Amino acid sequence: MAATGPALQGATLRGPRAWLSTLLAMCRKELTIMLRYPVELVASFGQILLIVMVLTLAGLMFSPTGLNTAADQSGQTAGVVAYGFVLFMFLSDTLWSIGYNVRREQKQGTLEQLYLSPASKFASLLSRVTVTLVWTGAMTVAAAGLLSLMLGRLPAENLPLGVGVLALALSGTFGTGFAFAALTLRIREAGQTLANLFQFAFMILCAPFFPFAALPDWLLPVSRLIPLAHGVDAFRSALMGFPAGYPELAPLALELAVVAAFGLVMPWLGYWLYRREENRARAKGSLSEY
Amino acid sequence: MAAVLRPSLAHKLSAALAETRLRLLNISRYPGQLAMEIIIPIVFASMPMLLGRASGGGAAAENFAANTGTANYVAYLLIGSNVFTLVSNAFWHVAYWLRFEQETGTLESVYLTPTSSLTLVTGVALYSAARGLVAAGLAYIVGCLIFQVNPLQGDVLLALAFIGAGLVPLYGLTLLFGALVLKVKESNALIGLMQWVVSFLMGIFFPVAVLPPLVRLVALLFPPTWMTNGVRSALLGVGFFFGEWYLDLAVLWVFMLFAPLFGFWVFNRVERNVKRNEGMGQF
Repeated sequence: MAATGPALQGATLRGPRAWLSTLLAMCRKELTIMLRYPVELVASFGQILLIVMVLTLAGLMFSPTGLNTAADQSGQTAGVVAYGFVLFMFLSDTLWSIGYNVRREQKQGTLEQLYLSPASKFASLLSRVTVTLVWTGAMTVAAAGLLSLMLGRLPAENLPLGVGVLALALSGTFGTGFAFAALTLRIREAGQTLANLFQFAFMILCAPFFPFAALPDWLLPVSRLIPLAHGVDAFRSALMGFPAGYPELAPLALELAVVAAFGLVMPWLGYWLYRREENRARAKGSLSEY
Repeated sequence: MAAVLRPSLAHKLSAALAETRLRLLNISRYPGQLAMEIIIPIVFASMPMLLGRASGGGAAAENFAANTGTANYVAYLLIGSNVFTLVSNAFWHVAYWLRFEQETGTLESVYLTPTSSLTLVTGVALYSAARGLVAAGLAYIVGCLIFQVNPLQGDVLLALAFIGAGLVPLYGLTLLFGALVLKVKESNALIGLMQWVVSFLMGIFFPVAVLPPLVRLVALLFPPTWMTNGVRSALLGVGFFFGEWYLDLAVLWVFMLFAPLFGFWVFNRVERNVKRNEGMGQF
């Protein structure tokens, strides 16, 4: 006789298949919500394109011939800005969107209910990351393509290496996002201000929009301590074909080692921190507090 | 039958100032947010500064002067980012005010009071202008001090006149965003996009002369473009669009007359339309 009742439920809610099914259902839910706002989709794409254009045009004001700068030179400026911007976008999205989603569930009063369900908590966090990965990825690729059309071809050397570095750096930023979600559970509304502060620190210390050479000497050692700074450096150096002076922070082998460690360790560390904070919130009964 | 009392100008002013006070009191509870408003324009301006220094090397200032008309790129970029802050704040504060009331379910109640929405939006605009001016002023001075340039060079009074004249049409335009929120409701992304469109058109970090002719023409229809160039010309001498300060200021005066009227007209139309159809309570 086939199992029924609690025995069947127990069987279907455990194991890798159930976990994958939960993850897919949650991703589908997040993507469906996202697709309900097509204007927002188009607007956020336009916004990204404009930011990169504004910064590239500003950078060209410092070249002797302004906008008439030769395509290879303007391509290099656009390359520095565009490739740094890719990582900036992913960091901004993951840093805040995972924490923001947790916060939103908390505000709407659904976080506690989610925790009462037998669904995997890790799948819940991962689904939010997946949407970021799909949408931000699509936007950055499209923005890079459009930018190439307008400002001249973006340098795109060593693609496999670039993609590998990007994947590891992204894995690390997702881990950072988990850690930040843990922090959001603790500090609640102040999370947004802190996320902004982190973003600005990243904008300076990880130099996504300018070469590290532009940073004052006393700041460079601080940048070298941040794994994501090595990610930015290795990623754009690889795609720009290692022009003279790149990578700027350390030899490539060392940068790759740092980025690999960041990409492999940070997701586990971030998730561990999240579980720790979640258990604390459950013990205190503060999950539904906002 | 009770007579219908029409609010006097003093009543309207009192209501508008009460709204301003309410908003200021509210934001005073978030000092971190206020501090961020001073930090953001400085960090934002430092991006092209660092990019330019790296790409231009020792000739960065000289190259910048050849392209923009001034070698003082620190002040040039800081002016751009601070005017951008003023403009973005104006858009967001008015739009967010309406959206917040919508989301918290109080917009319908607000519309049931005898105070007109335009009186209240004037109060919000006063609050927004006060907050934006203080933040932008401090960010400019602190930014100049950090990057070691004199913040008080050039004709400061003339620069202030351009800002003052530019704020009126700017807040007139924000009514268009208010109308957008009433109509579209969830319009954060659209407002976010518009703020970058305006930053691009007003030449936040570059002169609008580098834009293609058609885009430049559109840019010149935006009051923030005249405000930014007016302040830069007054402080850094980059050159007024019409050669003389009073001609550029006169253009802003024309905007001053036209933009608020146009904004009010669109806002009123959308407001009436929403009242007649889905109602103010829906969000």
